[in-house]
Amino acid sequence: MPRRPRRRNLEKYPPGGSFPARAVPWANVGTAVDHRFQVSLRGVIDLLSHHLYSSPGVYLRELLQNATDAIRARQHLEPEHKGTVRLELVEKQDGGPPTLVFSDDGVGLTEEEIHRFLATIGESSKREALEDRRKDFIGQFGIGLLSCFMVCDELLLVTRSARGDGRTLEWRGRHDGTYAVQVSEHPLERPGTQVFLVARADMVEWFAPERLRQLGRHYGGLLPFPIQLTVGTERERLDLDGAPWRRDYESAGERRKAMLEYGREVFETDFIDCIPLRSQAGDVDGVAFVLPASPHFNAKQKHRVYLKHMLLSESAENLLPEWAFFVKCVVNANALRPTASRESFYEDSALSQAREALGHGLRKYLVDLAHEDPRALQRLIGLHGLSIKALALDDDDFYRLVIGWLPFETSLGVTTLAEYRRAYPVVRFTATLDGFRQVARVAGAQGLCIINAAYTHDAALLEKLPHVVEGAQVEPFSAADLPQSFEELSMDERDAVFPLLRTAEQVLAPFHCGVVVKKFFPAEVPTLYSADEEGAFRRDAERARDESDDLYASVLEGVMAAAGGEPAQLCFNLHNPVVRRLAAVTDRTMMKLSVEMLYVQALLLGQHPLNAQEMTLLNQGLLGLISAQLGTGGSGGPESDGGVGSGGLH
Amino acid sequence: MAGDWREEAQALWDRAGKQKSSESKVKLLEEAVRMADSHGDVDLGYQLRDDLIDAATFGGYPDKALVAFAWCRGQQKKDPERFEPEGLLWKQKWVVGRIKEFPHISRKQITDALDDIEQCFTKVDAGKRSVLKLRYQTARDMGDDAAEVDRLWAAWLATPRDHLTDCRACELDDELDHHVETGEWEQALRKAKPILEGRVRCAEIPHLTLGTLLYPLFKLGELERAAEMHRRGYSLTSKNRDFLATMGDHLEFLALTGNLARGLALLEKHLEWTLDHGSFNDRFIFLVAATFLLERVKAAGDRDVVSLRLTKAFPEHRADGGYEVKALHAWMLKQAKDIATRFDTRNGTDRYARRLARIQRLAEEVREFPLD
Repeated sequence: MPRRPRRRNLEKYPPGGSFPARAVPWANVGTAVDHRFQVSLRGVIDLLSHHLYSSPGVYLRELLQNATDAIRARQHLEPEHKGTVRLELVEKQDGGPPTLVFSDDGVGLTEEEIHRFLATIGESSKREALEDRRKDFIGQFGIGLLSCFMVCDELLLVTRSARGDGRTLEWRGRHDGTYAVQVSEHPLERPGTQVFLVARADMVEWFAPERLRQLGRHYGGLLPFPIQLTVGTERERLDLDGAPWRRDYESAGERRKAMLEYGREVFETDFIDCIPLRSQAGDVDGVAFVLPASPHFNAKQKHRVYLKHMLLSESAENLLPEWAFFVKCVVNANALRPTASRESFYEDSALSQAREALGHGLRKYLVDLAHEDPRALQRLIGLHGLSIKALALDDDDFYRLVIGWLPFETSLGVTTLAEYRRAYPVVRFTATLDGFRQVARVAGAQGLCIINAAYTHDAALLEKLPHVVEGAQVEPFSAADLPQSFEELSMDERDAVFPLLRTAEQVLAPFHCGVVVKKFFPAEVPTLYSADEEGAFRRDAERARDESDDLYASVLEGVMAAAGGEPAQLCFNLHNPVVRRLAAVTDRTMMKLSVEMLYVQALLLGQHPLNAQEMTLLNQGLLGLISAQLGTGGSGGPESDGGVGSGGLH
Repeated sequence: MAGDWREEAQALWDRAGKQKSSESKVKLLEEAVRMADSHGDVDLGYQLRDDLIDAATFGGYPDKALVAFAWCRGQQKKDPERFEPEGLLWKQKWVVGRIKEFPHISRKQITDALDDIEQCFTKVDAGKRSVLKLRYQTARDMGDDAAEVDRLWAAWLATPRDHLTDCRACELDDELDHHVETGEWEQALRKAKPILEGRVRCAEIPHLTLGTLLYPLFKLGELERAAEMHRRGYSLTSKNRDFLATMGDHLEFLALTGNLARGLALLEKHLEWTLDHGSFNDRFIFLVAATFLLERVKAAGDRDVVSLRLTKAFPEHRADGGYEVKALHAWMLKQAKDIATRFDTRNGTDRYARRLARIQRLAEEVREFPLD
């Protein structure tokens, strides 16, 4: 299929290189021999830290993930089991590196499972392989544990399985790939897992109490079981005891207050309102916060998302419909698929259904506002008009609801569309600022109300009106339409201007410009130049042709030959005294020169850049006028035959 | 007034900078360009056009991209010290790649433009890969001799990448077009795997790919997968007129699977783009699909008139929205035929006539697969 070439862009391909990977055969537990992975563990760790994880702090997320999985697995066996995660920081008296003991009372690991996770580590030398392994509990466990080597050189894992023979096993692994497995001499009383991490000297900062507190809250704040941090004798809870938006509140007001407080904590922003979010698809719930100011760019908002109550990303972008950039949200999803980097969701049909449902919730908020508190909606339109316009474009019912309240700039001041339609039967608009500038002043003077629809979505919204609102009339308006509203000449006036009309037509024919003479206001405006969009494009092409080399100049000739559209038009204003005098001039040379100058002036006033030919006109014309002026200025020059030079063009 | 024009131009530029490539972005930049030109500010005019070429290329105005490029190129040739050539060379690929899509540009001019870009690239020590791809695509799309097309295809792939080569995602997607062209459906799908899995992507990939693969999947009977790609692909592309040809892919798929109501809704929404799109090739692809769809509606035989909210710019626009299927079909077909004739006459081949005739074959392949 014929297509187009494209640009270089955000190219993404998997990191290259692979590591020789294979774990040694499993040796019997209890013999306490040292083993060695036949794998460059450094390489795997390097891969993790440079390609998979954004920061070493992720180690705590991975540990929390492992604990969560283990507790869920135990709950599967014992539905009553509540689960608890404990972090204990042991700081050395002698100033040596601290140790973090991370414990859960989850399902624990059996001997065979330890075997499997070691195998996982051995084979996890490629990003894709890592991702595949994450899909099962043991695979995730191994990869998660591996991430700890970003912050320490040695790990001790002590575990007792709820499914096993009651023995407690120990695995001691080092970053260089050696490890030992044995039955522990300090058996655990209950099933669960403890991980001992001794901070590496250069990573001590990731073990500071404040950092642990912050990371634990950050990643695990929403987890549905307690997370305790113990530092010395101080013990505190890091979790929020469930998602704030699921709690019961005494009143709607209380809820709103608590939500806005939560929003402030999460995003450090004072939001103006909050909206509950829920989707069956993907099993998503959460809360959206309305931004207090319109976003600087129509950049997508970065949302905070949790997957099964673990923080997945603080910069998920693809969760809400495109129009909904007036909110930032916090949500938890139980059944959406994370992407490889685990930092957003995979674009599949579950996500697109969830997005639709969440969008529906936001839309409902706006609709309720329209019915219950139109003033609040108007304020919101003032703040987030772009979002609202974008939704209205996509959604006919919503369009009907809000279109009347949208404010528009017109040639007679700002007005809402409802006010406009009450006053004028036909909605007239210009789609570009340029176009609006060209008509605004003159249209205003004729009492014409023209909307400036150059702002994002405005033109499309107005064009939609007749399709959605029965009987509505909408017409695009341009400078070319203005003369229709101008007063026609009388029979005598027609006769009087006929020579001017003829001359002007001849003069302007090479410029693809027609001529009319009418009467309009303001009287100071002598002429009005108008060209439709294609005319403006033709002018752009002419300038490019003037500037380009032979090859592209000839290509552009072809483009211009194919351009359609109406010819441009110069409308003379007979209310203007200069034009009236010009019409009476008998010196054809003078008249020609004056027409040329009026044409160039009209172009310049309308901000139409001149092409080479017009530039020549301007230069020669100026000289011509000066010389004419000099000729007649010397008290009755030889060519003075009552021409315009005596007073027409001061 | 004269004092603050720079501020005004800057404000337009800033507003454009906040937008994705689109009609309104193009208009804002054009306005700013006209201001710069009015005041003879060549530097500003150049920088603005540099952005305008991007916005127009990726916003569906290849004609405007061409005009802006031609101006910049003129300036660049006049004063190579002042305007660095490399950035413009990237954009020259986009412009030259689409020049064949304007039927009023002659074969000689197209050949000259290809030779010229080859020289320009050689001057900066770029390899031949980019130019070979352009030559291959141009020859293929102009319906040139099959042996020559094959030779260029092989030459393109055999040439190493260099600093001016398109990104891997785009190149891979371009390869898919070849396999779809030659009917190698499985091969197209095999090669598309990294794109479909999200491992290789860019600003326009997988957007384009999801449309390209609809027909191969349909031919292989993988309708469920095709439906999924239709949903994903359409939502990625439906807001940008740069994807007019991709709209054609989706429209064709809907007609092939008997989703006529959905097809009409798509036609209603995107017909506007075909009326003034700079690329006559993309217009053609959409019009052919629209013709095919309306043929299916005619064949269904249960209605003579369909209600559509078509744009006022449509020459046969009706205020009451009632359109006779027969008349609408005739209009689409006539437009498609006119464009085909213009291209085939210019090219001296019959590729577009053949593409139009493909509708008959499609009619025999129809297989109902309701999406609702």
